[in-house]
Amino acid sequence: MSEMGDLQSLASSIRAVASPLRNYLTDLHHKYQGLNEGAVADYIPELALAQPEWFGICVVTQEGQVFEVGNCDQLFTIQSISKAFVFGLALEDHGRDYVNCKVSVEPTGDAFNSIILDETTNRPYNPMVNAGAIATTDLIQGKNGTERLKRVLEMFQRYTGRAHDINVPVFMSEKATGYRNRAMSYLMLNFGMVSEKIDETLDLYFQQCSIMVNARDLAMLSATLANGGINPVTKERALDERYVQDVVSVMLTCGMYDASGEWAYRVGMPAKSGVGGGITAVVPGQLGIGTFSPLLDAKGNSIRGIKVCEDLATDFGLHLFNAATPKHNLQEWISGSGDDDW
Amino acid sequence: MPKVIAIHSYRGGTGKSNFTANLATSVALQGHRVGVVDTDLPSPGIHILFGLEPEQTRQTLNHYLWGETPIEETIHDVSAQVGVEGAGKLLLVPSSVKADDIARILKHGYDVKLMNDGFRALVKAHQLDYLFIDTHPGLSKETFLSIAISHILILILRPDKQDYQGTAVTIDVARQLNVRKMLLAINKVYSSLNLEALKQKVEETYSETVAGVFPLAEEVVQLASEGVFCAKYPDHEVSQKFCNLAQQLIEG
Repeated sequence: MSEMGDLQSLASSIRAVASPLRNYLTDLHHKYQGLNEGAVADYIPELALAQPEWFGICVVTQEGQVFEVGNCDQLFTIQSISKAFVFGLALEDHGRDYVNCKVSVEPTGDAFNSIILDETTNRPYNPMVNAGAIATTDLIQGKNGTERLKRVLEMFQRYTGRAHDINVPVFMSEKATGYRNRAMSYLMLNFGMVSEKIDETLDLYFQQCSIMVNARDLAMLSATLANGGINPVTKERALDERYVQDVVSVMLTCGMYDASGEWAYRVGMPAKSGVGGGITAVVPGQLGIGTFSPLLDAKGNSIRGIKVCEDLATDFGLHLFNAATPKHNLQEWISGSGDDDW
Repeated sequence: MPKVIAIHSYRGGTGKSNFTANLATSVALQGHRVGVVDTDLPSPGIHILFGLEPEQTRQTLNHYLWGETPIEETIHDVSAQVGVEGAGKLLLVPSSVKADDIARILKHGYDVKLMNDGFRALVKAHQLDYLFIDTHPGLSKETFLSIAISHILILILRPDKQDYQGTAVTIDVARQLNVRKMLLAINKVYSSLNLEALKQKVEETYSETVAGVFPLAEEVVQLASEGVFCAKYPDHEVSQKFCNLAQQLIEG
């Protein structure tokens, strides 16, 4: 990088630290840090190790500015958030028509782990429920399990700009106790919706859920989608531009488990959550939000994460269908030309 | 609205801490609540001017940056030392002068975000009207931050070729950081020089305003940091100049 490039990049990171938007996020963090409702997921022991006070908020803009507050370096497992992105990779591997005939895109009011398929087509309801995610995972190409996993990890690296590891204890626990997912896979095999390499596919499914990320990674994932599939910092393409709309629209309708309708109405940002405590939310053409707080509500969504997204949507008018003048102008708050409340 | 004023110079020895102490005192003497933060963590010194002895310092900026204490508790009220009374207040956040503490900061660094959050918390908690940031000379992450968050940046230079070049670099950086307002102050000027001509020349060179030209006064040197000059000699020409600059900040 040239001398000027380094100055610009350092100046940009310092401007982000000093910007009114980060000050706003700091206040949000402070506002919800004391919110101790909900519970840490404990269906496997490794998840129960998460500290309830962990709380990170990160926003990455389409221009690649990064605003972060709190525990943005703390790693946790991505869990269901991976489903949206693996769906994108399956689309790249096979095209829309083929993927659509294996998995529907219809929201379901049922829980994420329900054993339920569309009765006429035998397809799982959508790629965000476990059955649908296993079916899309089945579609990931590669000559063996190792190569398929490598392709998934490389895809996440294109989105986040850094290499990711698998949390092996989480993977082993999920694999050892995943009877329900195994049963669902055989049911789908019975209907010819997945291939016979069930053990390999389930391993890949459990592995992709056990990928370690932090709040900044989640913001990069959604900022990349917001930026048409190109990582706004590294400028690398992570997803074919034709399939950005597929991934983002399914996030909007199905991303928040069986609270997706309420979320679309109240927050109006396509988003995906995971029981590790993460939420990644897309504001198309503007920014990506990543939040991390392991305290979950009954539906499996991070309580503080929901609050943060709700406040951001309301204060900056980020709801997809918002037509009213927002309380704060986002661009002014990013650039620092807006009023900051010293 | 509270104002944050960063005082910086590219090179050391420009009289930055003395300048900050005098300017902050002048503003506080006019009845304002003023905070001064010594962010010169590698070589702190401004506490000396306010008569704060190491044994009197409790918590410092270092302790805040290590997460050991809220920033509000690092405040030392030095109003009485400089004769600030009534509504005015002069509150100092010192840096630690213990060699171990300095080494710890140099070795492990700190999160520059904390500095920003601390400044804001401080202004809120103590309802400050003005926050002065005394910086470490040269360019570093923390000086970048101080420049980026300040409402007014005051760059101090001496009439010296090394200072001239370094100031040009600093001005480039400040513009890159979208600094809101920048003022230059020329310090330690020999009385034989034509002050007005010097001011004009510097303004032409950098296309920035020179807010004050401060002569090298023997009395300032004699005081040798045993106090804040303008509190001890309020009628001196130099003190008057600080008064004028304080007035510019308050009105500007």
